[in-house]
Amino acid sequence: MSDVALQTGGFPWLTTVVFLPLAGAFLLMLVNKTAHHTIRWIALAVSLFDLMLSLPLWSLFDPSTPRMQFVEHVAWMISPPITYSVGVDGISLPLLLLTTFLTPFCVLCSWRAIETRVKEFMAVLLIMETAMLGVFVALDFVLFYIFWEAMLIPMYLLIGVWGGPNRLYAAVKFFLYTLVGSVLLLIAILVLFFQGGQTFDILLLSRVEYAPALQSWLFWAFFAAFAVKVPMWPFHTWLPDAHVEAPTAGSVLLASVLLKMGAYGFLRFSLPMLPDATAAFTPIMVTLSLIAIIYGAYMALAQADLKKLIAYSSVSHMGFVTLGIFVLNAQGIEGAILQMVNHGITTGALFLCVGAIYERTHSRMIADNTGLANPMPRYATVLVIFTLSSLGLPGTNSFVGEFLVLVGAFFWSKWIAAVASLGIILAAAYLLWMLQRVAFGVPNAAHASHLHDLNLREMMTMAPLVVLVFWIGFYPNPLLVKMHASVNDLIEHVDVGELEAAQRGSRDAREMRERRETQVAPVALVPPVALKANNE
Amino acid sequence: MEYILIPLLPFAAFLILGLFGHWIKDKAHLVAVPAVIVSLILSVLAFLQVAGGHHTSMPLYTWLTSGDLRIGLGISIDRLTAVMLILVTTVSSLVHIYTIGYMQGEKGYARFFAYIALFTFSMLMLVMADNFLQLFVFWEAVGLCSYLLISHWYDRPSACAAATKAFVVNRVGDFGFMLGLLLVWYSFGSLEYRHVFAQAADFAGETINLLRPFGGTWEVSTLTLMCLLLFTGAVGKSAQVPLHVWLPDAMEGPTPISALIHAATMVTAGVFMVARLHPLYNLSPMAMDVVAITGAATMLLGATIALTQTDIKRVVAYSTVSQLGYMMMACGLGAYAAGIYHLLTHGAFKALLFLGCGSVIIALHHEQDMRHMGGLKDKLPVTYWTFVIGSLALAGFPLTAGFFSKDELLVSAWSSGSLGQILTVFGLLTALMTAFYSFRLVFVTFWGIHRGKAHRHEQGHSGAHDIHEPSPTITVPLLVLSVLSIAAGYFGIFEFLAPALPGPAAHEAGGHHGPAATVIMVLATLMGLSGIAAAYYVYVKSPGLPDRLAQQWQQLYRLSLNKWFVDEAYDRTIIRPTFTLADQLWKRVDVAVIDGAVNGVARGIAWWGWLLRLFQSGQTQHYALGMTLGAVLILGVYLLWL
Amino acid sequence: MTIPLSDLVAILPELIVIGAACLVLALDPLTPPSRKDWLAWFSVAALAVCAHLTMSRMGASVSAFSDLVILDPFSGFWKLLLYGVTGFTILLSLPYLKAERIHLGEYYGFILLSLSGMMVMVSAADLLTIYLGMELMSLSLYVLAGFKRFEARSLEAAAKYFVLGAFSSGMLLYGISLLYGASGSTRLSAIAAAVSARGLDDPMLALAMILLTVGFGFKIAAVPFHMWTPDVYEGSPTSVTAFMAVASKAASFAAFLRVFLEGLGGLKANWYALFLILCLATLALGNLVAIVQTNIKRMLAYSSIANAGYALIGAVVAGYVPASRDAQTFGLSSVMLYLAIYAFMTLGAFAVIAMLRKNGVEGDEIEDYAGLAKRQPVAAFLMLAFMASLAGIPPTAGFIGKFYLFMAAVKADLAWLAVVGVLFAAVSAYYYLRVVMVMYMREPETAGAESRLVTSPTLAVALACAFAGVLVFGLYPNPLVSFATQAVLALR
Repeated sequence: MSDVALQTGGFPWLTTVVFLPLAGAFLLMLVNKTAHHTIRWIALAVSLFDLMLSLPLWSLFDPSTPRMQFVEHVAWMISPPITYSVGVDGISLPLLLLTTFLTPFCVLCSWRAIETRVKEFMAVLLIMETAMLGVFVALDFVLFYIFWEAMLIPMYLLIGVWGGPNRLYAAVKFFLYTLVGSVLLLIAILVLFFQGGQTFDILLLSRVEYAPALQSWLFWAFFAAFAVKVPMWPFHTWLPDAHVEAPTAGSVLLASVLLKMGAYGFLRFSLPMLPDATAAFTPIMVTLSLIAIIYGAYMALAQADLKKLIAYSSVSHMGFVTLGIFVLNAQGIEGAILQMVNHGITTGALFLCVGAIYERTHSRMIADNTGLANPMPRYATVLVIFTLSSLGLPGTNSFVGEFLVLVGAFFWSKWIAAVASLGIILAAAYLLWMLQRVAFGVPNAAHASHLHDLNLREMMTMAPLVVLVFWIGFYPNPLLVKMHASVNDLIEHVDVGELEAAQRGSRDAREMRERRETQVAPVALVPPVALKANNE
Repeated sequence: MEYILIPLLPFAAFLILGLFGHWIKDKAHLVAVPAVIVSLILSVLAFLQVAGGHHTSMPLYTWLTSGDLRIGLGISIDRLTAVMLILVTTVSSLVHIYTIGYMQGEKGYARFFAYIALFTFSMLMLVMADNFLQLFVFWEAVGLCSYLLISHWYDRPSACAAATKAFVVNRVGDFGFMLGLLLVWYSFGSLEYRHVFAQAADFAGETINLLRPFGGTWEVSTLTLMCLLLFTGAVGKSAQVPLHVWLPDAMEGPTPISALIHAATMVTAGVFMVARLHPLYNLSPMAMDVVAITGAATMLLGATIALTQTDIKRVVAYSTVSQLGYMMMACGLGAYAAGIYHLLTHGAFKALLFLGCGSVIIALHHEQDMRHMGGLKDKLPVTYWTFVIGSLALAGFPLTAGFFSKDELLVSAWSSGSLGQILTVFGLLTALMTAFYSFRLVFVTFWGIHRGKAHRHEQGHSGAHDIHEPSPTITVPLLVLSVLSIAAGYFGIFEFLAPALPGPAAHEAGGHHGPAATVIMVLATLMGLSGIAAAYYVYVKSPGLPDRLAQQWQQLYRLSLNKWFVDEAYDRTIIRPTFTLADQLWKRVDVAVIDGAVNGVARGIAWWGWLLRLFQSGQTQHYALGMTLGAVLILGVYLLWL
Repeated sequence: MTIPLSDLVAILPELIVIGAACLVLALDPLTPPSRKDWLAWFSVAALAVCAHLTMSRMGASVSAFSDLVILDPFSGFWKLLLYGVTGFTILLSLPYLKAERIHLGEYYGFILLSLSGMMVMVSAADLLTIYLGMELMSLSLYVLAGFKRFEARSLEAAAKYFVLGAFSSGMLLYGISLLYGASGSTRLSAIAAAVSARGLDDPMLALAMILLTVGFGFKIAAVPFHMWTPDVYEGSPTSVTAFMAVASKAASFAAFLRVFLEGLGGLKANWYALFLILCLATLALGNLVAIVQTNIKRMLAYSSIANAGYALIGAVVAGYVPASRDAQTFGLSSVMLYLAIYAFMTLGAFAVIAMLRKNGVEGDEIEDYAGLAKRQPVAAFLMLAFMASLAGIPPTAGFIGKFYLFMAAVKADLAWLAVVGVLFAAVSAYYYLRVVMVMYMREPETAGAESRLVTSPTLAVALACAFAGVLVFGLYPNPLVSFATQAVLALR
């Protein structure tokens, strides 16, 4: 692997990216706590600098190989051998960039919203970033777990200290719920250590064949941790509370990054390490995902609180992600990864919008925030854009992800795809109904005086996201190309025989395929590598 | 090559207006109009080239790749596309010009132009698409534009409701479209027209067992399933039964929109799609019958409702529904060319009618109720005469474009077999109604005396005086369109299209010029004329007759007036139940059961803590006792089990 | 008879500590009240000397007084730990006693005496010697528990502790006598021989084993012998509570393990089950009851019970015969590691508690911490760190401690036990985080009655050490791990 790492000139790239925010947090400690402005600027500078540092990863990343890149290995603990080893592949890179990309917005959107204990807030925010980045780059299972858990306390503080009226309940609920889930993961890790040849190295552990019985135990242990984070139905009830009470930045991080960790866990651990169990339990996972899609949409339909509505829509959208993951084919998984990024951008942006309006009217109730298009045209515009993106309108980012997931699901079973698409109809229903009330109609007189349009800073926060929404919407291929190698590798990991079983119902399709290959020049069958050639 | 500019120019206009609209403000048309005009010119060039036999197709870029899925964006121009290009750019340019006058001084002037420019772009990309996904993408994009434009006056709750309704109903249709799309890829492994059409024939026999996951067996023909799924998309977009409900409400939008989107172009996308996919439909007779019957049903329903509506725009809207039914029926019967031909002429005269309505509405200061109109023919001569021409074309009056296309349509329908002949009868019946309601519109609106007095509010004096012909930017498009409404019949467009859109092999029998053809032509003409006559008799000759008729046929009258109660039915059976279910699920399941369980666990644990704490009495002797008992207990356990 | 010099040299640290204790007691009347600090510094110096001595002798394994006392790395580990804890306690006591206006010299004397008792315990290879040490430790602790003599709670604590302590040591003594009867000796080695001779199912041995368990279980506060803990911890002066919670627990564990592994090693198959019951009961009760506490000292009392439960997991593994010898050793070392880490975080927590003043008097209700983060961010942050560590959240030392314990359990194929452990750890997070919640997310109910932390240089040093330990061993536990591993390798 080192040869791959060498392409960065041996510079500890990932370590720098991961720990820079932490350093920034320490830097903040030195600043006088009353110098709010300095603090904000430092935090912004640090997060932006981190973004700058992470961008080269994108261009230096070699999409032709599924291997980990920018790898760093340092022996850390003896007996058991825990190493500090990090690296990224096509699956974690997009999420890494998503995180570095979104943190500056979290700083910006807290510029005015947070007036108390600014110093602590920004510090916590930066510590969060380090923990989240660590989760995505860790190649040692214990290291992963440490980052995974380390993120709990900052988030707990974020919700509990700067949150809304019912914040205590929400914070404790978030903490305990996710903790209970992840402690079982710890045991699973230890079992793997002894079953997988006395190592915590994720890559090595992924190469071991585990006994089926053991696999199913481990699978559910992983499930406990990841399903709660995603969250999959029925482990989602912490999400609405956490979202509603958290400050805007908290909601953004929660929706955009934290939820992704669960899905990432499935991709990084459940699938490659426990292929048999994965294949065996796929029906259950798919069912849960479908329930999440439909159920979440219905919940969203019933909400009167904007944040709750978006929270439940997240449940629905993450249902698509898990669905894509567990249909176990290229389109599904790449769609899922892309959908993670999309959901991060879109839902994050929606929370920014809610935060912006909350700063003005101090209410998240739809009834209090109506008819904003007249007093706040710019705000209405971005709100409309992000809403449309969220309901998966073609030309926006979400459509691409959802489409790919549906393609994958359709291969698995036509009915699954049909039910999933129902979710898209419902999404249109609840989101447009929300839009109809919030953006359009007549403004609520009570708040009319506060409804000044987005200022420059807020536009600055929204604009890049708008650009991304359309960029991914119209030209997602560069993103997908980065994933191909890793995803194909992952799919080969999941035993091929099982894969065919998973693609139940595609028999007739397969023989059609064979026939076709003899017929027209099958443009659609060019292998990914060849594709890359003419996309680069 | 330059044809890529056809869509890109409007798009550029949209970008400029979208980004800098609030600086450009009321100069917006200076950006939009030239762009569209240029793309009109380019379309004409493209048309000529295609007429010269050069089909152009060029890929633009690879949109996405995943596994063996690879989809690019591209444009291809063949005869069908060329015709559509002409239609779209022409109507669009005229509507752009018309808008200058119509939206004068409106707050959202620039925004409006931005949206119609965006719409033009999307529609052009839709017709130029060379693969299913691109079709779908811009299919939804035009839907979006329609959504944005219907809710243009967003402070009118009714407008926003209509917009949402339009979008959601279309989503229902697109649900099927999407599944059809997936099925296409699943079966053919490609989404490009050429690959799919190339292989279509080999799939004639393929079947899919829909009940496999449930262990049952229900083999359906792959192609039929595919076509039907795709057709649901068309049903939504082209306002076919039962998804027609959104179109009339869409009239909440400004009139130019009704003309451009909800009459001439977007709503015809469904018809276009069926024609575009004719190689698939031709292979699935069952699907085609479904299409034809749906079309016929829509045709009748639309006509019957149009008979009694009093809102001038709604009458035209339902007539649009009905005419779309015609086209769909034609496609279903394999008469694609005729369908598209009618689509084209209809585009001209229906746009004309809508713009005419618009000019009336403007003149009457946004009065839309026919009952408060009348006697306008002297006050608005241009509008009146153009409107009459439009109505004549709609009624299929001889020598108008409508006459030729409707005639072609019915003839080819008749010649397409038994089902076709049955439906042709309905077609003729509808022709009668069409003529009737369109001239009812003319007579009630323009003839007789002005009935708007009591109603006009702003100025105290009679409203009749301040009614005058609107600005030339409004009247010029009317004139151009009225010319087209007649001329469109003489370009031999049908003959141009026919070879490009062959029907199923079976239908080729029975040429277009047998005796049957003549009979039908005569019948159709008679229907049209008698319809006009009837309208004249009822609404001009014998005043008061309408009310008496209404009294006489009360049930039918109410049924038609209330649009067959379809909206009410949906409200009862789908919309309200959905919301109730959502609310109940949330309160009864999510909060009560799932979250209740979570909190229950927590409370249970705390309760144990509270319980065990009771042993902590604080009494030393109790503690000592506890220790002893503990020791004894352990001893007991030890002796018994270990 | 004369005592060979080598023996005296062997127990030199104990002698030094005892000597220092006597000296302190003797000098106390002579030192003016303003100079009492000197006594504290003197004791610390004595500790430093002992620490140096012990370290210089690590590795070698010497037995003295004809096998009554044994100096092996095992005892060395515990002794160093105890020195550290005692030193910390003294640093903490300096400001605390002043604040409580009970700054008397004998306090340090008793601390040192009790320390000497503990040292005897950890390095004794003979039941009676262990008993001796234990009594020495306990008697001093009884006195210290009642050190706030004008406060009822304190006296009550002392009384209860004394009565129950006497009761438990009675049981212990009875157990010892039974073993003596069975083996004709109180030497662990002799007992081991006798056990292997008499075989497993000997009711006498069984009874003796159980009685010993009661005796030790009382000292380590294992359920059902824990009941004294909350009351005594709550009543005693906080610095003493800290000392008890850590030092006496550690020493007792050391003796406990040595007796059962060396003396009753042959009965593993029997006492493994015994420990298992104890362990589960302790885990459950400690964690569950801690949830409903409102007084932070009581809460920490239950937390210390719960932690005894965690440590017992390691003990169970150490006694689990089916597991590989390797796994058993690992279990043992994980106990030592855990208790060492436990020392840092618990002492840290108690240090904060001790110095939290609510208008003058000690504020030991959890509510008293409301809004502390606003007034004293640093103190609050330290408390946050200690609580997180107690809850076992990475990257704190507490996580590492639990990690090794559970690892040992999994290694010995007792994964289910580990699962029980982590689940209770999750439960424990609730009550530890409640403190954090109160500090960071609550405003004090009654304005004016704001509690704040009275800081002093010594306290600062103490807290710094504790925090450093919690953090450093959380990120780099290697030294501690290898130390513990070597220590157990020497045992047997």
